[in-house]
Amino acid sequence: MSDNIVAEIKKEYIYDLAKRDERADGRALDQYRNISIETGVISKAEGSARVQIGDTQVLVGVKIQPGEPFPDTPDKGVIITNAELIPLASPTFESGPPREGAIELARVVDRGIRESGALDLAKLCIEEGVKVWMVFIDVHVLDYDGNLIDAAALGAIAALLNAKLPNERYDMGKDAQLSVEDLPVAVTVAEIGGKLLVDPCLEEEQITPTKLTMIFNKDDAVAGMQKSGTGMLTSEQVYQAIEMASKKAKEIRKKFLEKG
Amino acid sequence: MKGKPEKLIVKGKRLDGRKLDELRPVKIEIGVLKRADGSCYLEIGNNKVMAAVYGPREVHPRHVQEATRAIVRYRYNMASFSVEDRKRPGPDRRSIEISKVSRESFEPMVIKECFPKAAVDIFVEILQADAGTRTAGINAASLALADAGIPMRGLVSSCAAGKVDGQIILDPMKEEDNYGEADMPIAMVAPDNVTLLQMDGHFTKDEFKQAFELAKKGCAQIYEMQRQALIAKYGAEGKQ
Amino acid sequence: MSKDLAIPGDLLSDDVRLAGEGTYIEDEKVYASVCGVVDRGEKIRVAPLTGKYMPCSGDVVIGKIIDVRFSSWTVDINSPYEARLHISEYPKRINPGEANQHLGIGELIIAKVTGVDAAMRVDLTMRDGGKAIRSGRLIEISHTKIPRAIGRGGSMINLIKNETNCDIFVSQNGRIWINGREDMVTLAADALLKIEQEAHMFGLTDTIREFIENAKRDRK
Repeated sequence: MSDNIVAEIKKEYIYDLAKRDERADGRALDQYRNISIETGVISKAEGSARVQIGDTQVLVGVKIQPGEPFPDTPDKGVIITNAELIPLASPTFESGPPREGAIELARVVDRGIRESGALDLAKLCIEEGVKVWMVFIDVHVLDYDGNLIDAAALGAIAALLNAKLPNERYDMGKDAQLSVEDLPVAVTVAEIGGKLLVDPCLEEEQITPTKLTMIFNKDDAVAGMQKSGTGMLTSEQVYQAIEMASKKAKEIRKKFLEKG
Repeated sequence: MKGKPEKLIVKGKRLDGRKLDELRPVKIEIGVLKRADGSCYLEIGNNKVMAAVYGPREVHPRHVQEATRAIVRYRYNMASFSVEDRKRPGPDRRSIEISKVSRESFEPMVIKECFPKAAVDIFVEILQADAGTRTAGINAASLALADAGIPMRGLVSSCAAGKVDGQIILDPMKEEDNYGEADMPIAMVAPDNVTLLQMDGHFTKDEFKQAFELAKKGCAQIYEMQRQALIAKYGAEGKQ
Repeated sequence: MSKDLAIPGDLLSDDVRLAGEGTYIEDEKVYASVCGVVDRGEKIRVAPLTGKYMPCSGDVVIGKIIDVRFSSWTVDINSPYEARLHISEYPKRINPGEANQHLGIGELIIAKVTGVDAAMRVDLTMRDGGKAIRSGRLIEISHTKIPRAIGRGGSMINLIKNETNCDIFVSQNGRIWINGREDMVTLAADALLKIEQEAHMFGLTDTIREFIENAKRDRK
């Protein structure tokens, strides 16, 4: 319980800093924490990536196996995204079936992959109406220090880029690289005292009334958005957030997802 | 799944080149998670596990707390992507049983009387599985407990012995577990306390004795590695 | 060797009369129960290098109010156990039911532990030099590093106070309150976090003096 109560003077300190365009960890308002990505860390998975954003750490595994298509899309593959806020990752996470936080996380990550068209579902059809590839994206949070959505979304696309279609296992020829058509990147911005801060760390996340996550495609179009938190944003802030986030998304995509 | 290899032991060597009484390579990192009070990442062969300890901390709900000592809780969980065929997330009968016996392997070692009414929570996540996940989890959990500063009577070290092609082997890997004739994970605390013992398959009494002694030797080797890992982590801090 | 590292289960002595903190007795022998530095003084103790703060009567702590009740506050003291501050232990006279007018959730206090019973009920008082903290900055370090932050005879903390002109209050439970000029508070906080990081290094006081002097020079 006490983990959720932030000391008043800490709150005031972060608000005061934001007024002066500063942050407690010394970052600029539009500055991301250090990102590191390691792919192919789980050989049992068809694709995997471990993403660290500051002290936040997530592991995303992609499993691909044949299954039946949905009746209304007999010629399309299936994407299933799941996230677990396991109690290993934070004193505030509890065992048990996923609650709203985990479900929101999984759905926003899913939206980015799906709506950006990162996977061409038609290419995942093996035999129309009978057999298609099912792509399971499982997000395993290991250490929660804020901004899980960006970390999970980045892990998901990095794991997909790293993934192989396991044809050999199912006697369908040689394994092939999973074809990835777009590179969606999620960027979250938090509002504190009227200022917008990119990539909120845990301390900032605990006191911000409002977060806005925006997911951008390669062509800078928006593929998904999610406002969360009990606060409000002005339209001016929304426009400002989009500009801020789109710039960051480009930088992250270039540095971590686009090959040479 | 590929079929059973004709032989699992050829000229005294196993499929991965190990001798019969040899452990798989082990890698240990202590204190890898920021939020946890203690943590440890451990690899043994192709197993990759992460353990975190929270506590001692308040117990919720309150009716499960004990007035004069801490309770120990242990959650063994497999990531969906840790195995060949995706595992459905969440606990199943197997993981609940493993959680229970793993917890019991620590119960006599944690000095619970230091923390009335509190809980010591141990979380073990199997990130990649290749036979021997419960023993790997216990080894990592033991170090995460030490990293969290939980008072203990000693480190718990765990290792399995098995039987393949009629011969007793140490630390079975996946193929040996799938096609072997017996598997026996144990956990030990020095000098001679068994805190976990499970076995399935077929051992003659002589084979059991041989396997048990071999597993104990494995635990002793694991203990040495655990010890070195703690000294590497805390040794520098100790030299003031 | 008088100081060495022990890990849980290490045999320390055959003389059970020597068993001190961080040890346990089994079969007439003394063993280490935690990872830490063995201190062979009058008793053998293992000074832990990690672990949570456990309250002791007489400790001065910085607490965070996490609940307000009719005639008491529930206080987080950075420990597995919450503490209780009864309104009669507040520096001013308060009528029952008025607790919330004096200290609210999230406020910080300096208080003294007056008692810890067998069931780990912890009682606090503010009547013995305690006060509410309403300005300045709070940082947290491991309580096991607090002796290093204070230094021998207070040498380390006095150095930082003098160099930064800040008020600094170091509590037993790992929380440190710093008040002063904004940039100097930041400098003091950085210095204290550096102490936590490098608590095991030789010549730490000199390192910290140099760190502060360099930082001040760079700011000019």
